[in-house]
Amino acid sequence: MTAEMTTPDVTGREAEDLANAGLSVDGAELREVLEHYYEKGWTDGLPVVPVTESYLQEFLARTPRDPDDVLFEVPHLNRALTVRLAAINAGLAGCLPAYFPVVVAAWDAIAQEPHPRRGIWQSTTGTAPLTVVNGPIREEIGLNSAGNVFGSGFRANATIGRAIRLALINVFGLVPHQLDQATQGTPAKYTACIAEWEEESPWEPLHVEQGLDASDSAVTAFVVRSVVHIEARHTSDPDQLARDFADTVARTGALIHEYTNALLVLTPEHAQVFASAGWSKDDVRRAVFGHAVRTRAELKAVGKDAISHNARWRLPADHPDAMPDTASGTDDPDHVHALGRPSSVQVMVAGANNAGVSAVVEVFGLAPERTPRERPCSVSRIERR
Amino acid sequence: MTGREMLLDPTGMDERTADGTLAPRPVTLRGLTIGLLDNTKPNATALLRAIEAQLRQRTEIGETRLYTKDYFGTPVKDELLTQIAAECDVVITAVGDCGSCSAATVADGILFEREGVPAVSIVSDSFFMSGRAMAKVQGFPGFEFLAAAHPVASLDDDGLRQRAETLTPDVLRVLGVEA
Repeated sequence: MTAEMTTPDVTGREAEDLANAGLSVDGAELREVLEHYYEKGWTDGLPVVPVTESYLQEFLARTPRDPDDVLFEVPHLNRALTVRLAAINAGLAGCLPAYFPVVVAAWDAIAQEPHPRRGIWQSTTGTAPLTVVNGPIREEIGLNSAGNVFGSGFRANATIGRAIRLALINVFGLVPHQLDQATQGTPAKYTACIAEWEEESPWEPLHVEQGLDASDSAVTAFVVRSVVHIEARHTSDPDQLARDFADTVARTGALIHEYTNALLVLTPEHAQVFASAGWSKDDVRRAVFGHAVRTRAELKAVGKDAISHNARWRLPADHPDAMPDTASGTDDPDHVHALGRPSSVQVMVAGANNAGVSAVVEVFGLAPERTPRERPCSVSRIERR
Repeated sequence: MTGREMLLDPTGMDERTADGTLAPRPVTLRGLTIGLLDNTKPNATALLRAIEAQLRQRTEIGETRLYTKDYFGTPVKDELLTQIAAECDVVITAVGDCGSCSAATVADGILFEREGVPAVSIVSDSFFMSGRAMAKVQGFPGFEFLAAAHPVASLDDDGLRQRAETLTPDVLRVLGVEA
């Protein structure tokens, strides 16, 4: 861009600069457009891409779904997200039209999750949607599954996650300080979309575990709180490694309800520590479930040794609303599992193959069902046209 | 090039039918049946019972009936709404002390008003803006609800009694009855 781009008499050198830049714009008009979105409140705080009807049509052309199909609704807010609205917000987020089938599938998966439709994104807990992508579409649209997988730098990851956020703000009115009452939230509320590095995984990919074909492209939706790093560059012992994960899964600060859930995002190196010892994903799950235990005394020390009668939130045993937790009624009442069942742990592979650094993604799961969910996530196949 | 086009509205919002009409107010609570709707949050029942005790000190109210929502984060289900409207003359609901339940508690109050039952929704004052935003999406932006000093969940019996004492004059005012 040159400062003289609006000057009518362009010198030879300036003409060359313009040709090299390839583009000349009316900067004032561009900024006016961006400011219009800010004035309307149609943004997450970052600039958005203007969307008009002809650009919207490019998105709608990529999906077999009808523009008026409802992808996700929150009845108590009187709001529903159509394919058309999902596309407008994907465009605002900076998605290319080719990404749109992933966004549609992400909404389909979110719609299957129990908490979003019941208002979890109005909640103080401040969770965010995490979108995990599997299958051939990863390569086609350049989704990152390798180094810096939770970081910045990749348009598809950055904008697909943001497409979800912008629709939550714009369509559902989940505006911070208004219907979004997150106490602190999480950086993942800007965007959170990662791909699995299936080729580096010793096991079957996440979507195949959930019954889809390896040749399918798919989205798995999680509702997440923190992403916590696990530093373990020192060990090739699978049990040591499983204990390191379990310690983070069972940290008392994560315990809001009776149980928690986790997605382990293993780097190729850590996946190999398990796989070369002959461990399957289920072996990893069982080991982490078995080690993710707090003693009654540890829970008492932080005032989380009982649960409330109806909402089943952890609180001290001497609280007026306290009742004993499930473990209290077993023959081992002094050891309390932080996880409801082994399948409360999901396992995938992503991140550079350069260090023993993985992550525990803390996955939200409410208690009113009493019985923990079979899996703390929902999958949806990506449909393209 | 497509030429100049209008920017599209990404919200899908339209002007919803607004219904900001309150249910008819009773002149007094004397002899009336009062519904207490517990949204399952810690101390919700205790706060409602403490308010009941305050009301009994001031007026010869009729019986009270305690109901429990099955989930705090969404508005009361239709069946329970109909049941409470059939069995009670006024209803008090508490306690919206989180993001989703504050909004849901306000939505509950609006639903009761539209069923013809005067209602008092109680949220904690940290969540006043959430309740306001919910009243707006429900088409009743001026709906009045009460804000108790935050927190409620961690209060002991004395603390609950004090909250109830502070709230009760406003409960009576919202219900439109004499103290």
